[in-house]
Amino acid sequence: MKVTFNWLKQYVDFHWSPEELAERLTMLGLEVEGVQRLGGEFAGVVVAQVLAKDKVAGSDKLSVNRVHDGTGERTIICGAPNHQPGDKVALILPNFALPLKAGEKEPFVIKERKVFGVVSQGMMCSKKELGLGEDGDGIIILPADAKVGQPFAEHLGRAGSDVVYDLEVTPNRPDLNSVIGIAREIAALTGNPLRIPKCGVPNAQGGVLDSVAVRLTEPELCPRYTARVVTGVKVGPSPDWLRQTLEKVGIRSISNVVDVTNYVMLETGQPLHAFDYHLIAKSAAGKPTIVVRRAAAEEKFKTLDNQERTLTSDMLLIADEQKGIALAGIMGGANTEIRNDTRDVLIESAYFTPPNIRRTSKALGLRSESSYRFERGCDVGIADYASLRAAQLILQTAGGTLVPGVLDAYPQPAKAKEISLRFAKTDALLGVAIAPERQVKLLTSLGLGALPITDGQSATFSIPTFRVDLKREVDLIEEIARLYGVDKIPSTAPRGAVGAHPFDAVYDEIAAVRRLLSGLGLNEAQGQTLVSSAECGMRSAECVPLANPLSSDMDVLRPSLLPGLIHSLRHNLNRKNNDVALFEIGRVFTNVNGQTKEERRVAIALTGARAQTFWSGDDRDAKFDAMDLKGLVESLLEHFGLRGVQFAKRAEQHALFLESAVITLGGKVQLGELGQLLPALAKQYDLRDAVFLAELRLDELLARGNRNKSFKQLPQFPASRRDVAILVPEATTHDAVGQAVKQAKPANLESVELFDIFRGKNVPAGQKSLAYAFTYRAADKTLTDNDVNAAHAKAVDALKQKLGATVRE
Amino acid sequence: MSLLAQLDPLKAEALAALLAATDLPALEQTKGAFLGGDGKFTALMKQLGSLPKEERPAAGKAINAVKAELETALAARRSELELKAALPKEPTDWTLPGRRLAVGRLHPLTQVTDDIVRAFRKLGFVVADGPEIEDEYHCFDALNTPADHPARDSQDTFYVGDNSKPASQNGKLPLLRTHTSSVQIRVMKSQPPPIRIIVPGRVYRRDNADATHNPTFHQIEGLYVDKQVTVGDLKGTVEAVFKDVLGSDVKLRFRPHYFSYTEPSLEIDFTNALVKKLGKDWLEIAGCGMVHPQVFENVGYDPEVWTGWAFGFGIERIAMLRYGITDIRLFYENDVRFLRQF
Repeated sequence: MKVTFNWLKQYVDFHWSPEELAERLTMLGLEVEGVQRLGGEFAGVVVAQVLAKDKVAGSDKLSVNRVHDGTGERTIICGAPNHQPGDKVALILPNFALPLKAGEKEPFVIKERKVFGVVSQGMMCSKKELGLGEDGDGIIILPADAKVGQPFAEHLGRAGSDVVYDLEVTPNRPDLNSVIGIAREIAALTGNPLRIPKCGVPNAQGGVLDSVAVRLTEPELCPRYTARVVTGVKVGPSPDWLRQTLEKVGIRSISNVVDVTNYVMLETGQPLHAFDYHLIAKSAAGKPTIVVRRAAAEEKFKTLDNQERTLTSDMLLIADEQKGIALAGIMGGANTEIRNDTRDVLIESAYFTPPNIRRTSKALGLRSESSYRFERGCDVGIADYASLRAAQLILQTAGGTLVPGVLDAYPQPAKAKEISLRFAKTDALLGVAIAPERQVKLLTSLGLGALPITDGQSATFSIPTFRVDLKREVDLIEEIARLYGVDKIPSTAPRGAVGAHPFDAVYDEIAAVRRLLSGLGLNEAQGQTLVSSAECGMRSAECVPLANPLSSDMDVLRPSLLPGLIHSLRHNLNRKNNDVALFEIGRVFTNVNGQTKEERRVAIALTGARAQTFWSGDDRDAKFDAMDLKGLVESLLEHFGLRGVQFAKRAEQHALFLESAVITLGGKVQLGELGQLLPALAKQYDLRDAVFLAELRLDELLARGNRNKSFKQLPQFPASRRDVAILVPEATTHDAVGQAVKQAKPANLESVELFDIFRGKNVPAGQKSLAYAFTYRAADKTLTDNDVNAAHAKAVDALKQKLGATVRE
Repeated sequence: MSLLAQLDPLKAEALAALLAATDLPALEQTKGAFLGGDGKFTALMKQLGSLPKEERPAAGKAINAVKAELETALAARRSELELKAALPKEPTDWTLPGRRLAVGRLHPLTQVTDDIVRAFRKLGFVVADGPEIEDEYHCFDALNTPADHPARDSQDTFYVGDNSKPASQNGKLPLLRTHTSSVQIRVMKSQPPPIRIIVPGRVYRRDNADATHNPTFHQIEGLYVDKQVTVGDLKGTVEAVFKDVLGSDVKLRFRPHYFSYTEPSLEIDFTNALVKKLGKDWLEIAGCGMVHPQVFENVGYDPEVWTGWAFGFGIERIAMLRYGITDIRLFYENDVRFLRQF
């Protein structure tokens, strides 16, 4: 909503500067989004008269002048040669700025300054200095009849200054989409009266009812419809005041009659429409009849903007007996618009219910100042006043005669709402004590009617129809808070209950996982939740689609964190960040048997060099490999203290992975997967080095993790180590070795650690050599060689028997 | 030559030989050559028996003194050479770049979220969460959003469902939550007051991505419900948190505004040196207000007994302000040169 400083002043007195007004409105909840200054050139420049001119001691060129600025005398040092005592001049006062010149960033501000020992209190200006011409040799000499003290802009006959405010009106306050509505807020804040224009035109009954009739077929959608008729108008250009007022707030001037309807809409908030009376078809009874009805399905209607529109039966149409003449509350029809030769005008002022206007406006993609107001909710009570006001201004600007009376179809007038307020409730909610009389005064200053207070504890207020937002007690308390000033409510230190929620602990656990993974050298990523269904390796059946996606590259919710991480790898590789190690913790969404499932996951992506650049070492250029990924996953799993985690190699082909393994708890509970991205996919995503990916189900890890810690005594007795290297077939896994040893149950075995895998010399093809260190330790004694050897023999024997291993000597 | 006369030249020879040994093996060899079983000094000692009995004590004493002296010199030289042997072959350049292990960084949004959460937790708040796929009830209806409110529109809100199947009437499809306020309802429905929670999380709006919009972004929501909670409490808590997160020079102001689920509703502007540097007086940072009695009624709390406040703001916005980030999309590109800066 745009409104100007001067326009507001017509309705209420206030003594604020334009900046102060902006601040006050903002703090009332009417946020000022833009301020535009109009006119107001030559601030601080006045017409002045030179009284005396003397030489300055020590200077050839300068003169010291006594000058009268209309309020008093000033001393001005001047370098110009062309003025004499008695001359009228343009004087700029100290602390005002000269107009900006082309290429200047900061305007030049005139200051009081000392010249040759004399303080100069301003400057007499040349044309060049004021941006009025190229002449900079001498100062401007004004005509002898110039009025001393008059602002220079006024002397030049230039438009007075004004300030246009662009206000953000919140959707609950449609009443503020009007100048009067805003002025009412200012009146409430200042305590000054609101001046609503009196409409001094006859409003006797009769007349008009002979000229027009109305039939409301949809009182639900149009509860009130008023019409007035003005005859004998002369359509033409608007007078300056009307044209300028509209143009300042961005509305194009069309003609006096149309401009009046727009002006009154801005003034009162009530959208109006003016029809050419003679273009409305007469009914059998001989007078035009307005029919407010639903459009027929597929009914065609050409709006004022000359667009033919196809309507549906949900849309409300203003029609005569033959044709549609306006799209209710949105836009008039081309067939009945005001023309240059229009002589008689029918003024429509109606109330249309918001949802229908909103739906129609949206369905047709047609928005107007009128639809904007109706869809937010107009004031059903103001329809007649706005119509009368428009009639008055039409008479004033276009002449003509008002047909006496008004046609006001208002079958069920709105009942005045009443809301009670308990004064103590206000204090309790706001945290400040406001005297009951003050509360009542604040509310009545907004136009609410106070019914007599009965008990001193509470009061009941009647709510004017323009305040559609006031529905219950707390709404009144908000009004009190606004006018009282939220900034005056003292802040109270935090106090009260300590909260409780089961997620609180989970938040910390997730934070701990983040710290762990970043500590392991991974950077944390945040990917888009919305991804493309055509993304790498995703099965569409599992994806949760959006019903209204923005585009096809964001049409499903991510079923996995991996596509997003692959995207991030590509983004990095394309920018020559070749070595990337990322993790992400976030939610994924899957469709499981028609049910949408939302769960947290943690994922890792690695590509490029394993270590940061270094200047020495054989493996300094090593790239990430599968065991780097495995190590990270193991560290993560270890953090959760899970027992029985298994990594099972996937035998089948996979859409995403070249090679991969499934991570389970005891082969049953799925924990996640890890593997190497298919090279073909990697290539498709511009990834040159091998890419390793892992994804784990974080909710499962959180639920099953065991983070109970208990102290275990440190060993009291020394350990003994026995190494063994065995030859086994390639297919024999490390896990199988572990299982075989475990089943043999060698006495006092503390740990088995793999320290070498070898293929090549002395190892037959299809086999590999695994070297293990066995550590034996008893809790209660130092083991003898015999003890250890016996146990170790049992372990080695198991390897030979169970795995067919050959022990390398 | 008498035995004693040989003693001094031998000592001189041995000391010279010790100094001449430039590494530990050479030193051990030198030691053998003089003090070993076949060493020259040992040979001299063996001659002691051939001296006349009366000369033996003095000669023995002299020999022992020289032997002790040689052993001291040997030990000293050994320490010297051991130290030399311990030094690396090439001198160390302490200005070389060291061998670094990678240290990963937490995402800036995580860091900001953590800071805000920490500030609230000091005041007794706990963290809560809820689903991102929501229904109209929790996201809109229960929050007193009018049935016709544009926020429910498919222009602004993502609805979840298969587009090929006809959508059920009135948009009863599930939706992606447009604000974390939906969690207010879930928490209040699941536990009795008092409530003191904060809810960080992802929210979704149907905006095309540009420098200030991303369809996915993060919000944090605060809700406090108790007896006798006032606007003053709201202001006090918000001030405490923002001073904690944005620095003690931050100034806040509260402006009346409109949200369907709070009454009165306020917008919070803040200012500090940074805002002034941006050439602005105030920057809008959050919305807040007293929980609307209708919302309390919707969750079964008695608005005559309980009052409360709620507030919410965007985490990206705070992070952008804090770090001077000018494009929201950077948060979701995960460029490591970006991530490593925080």
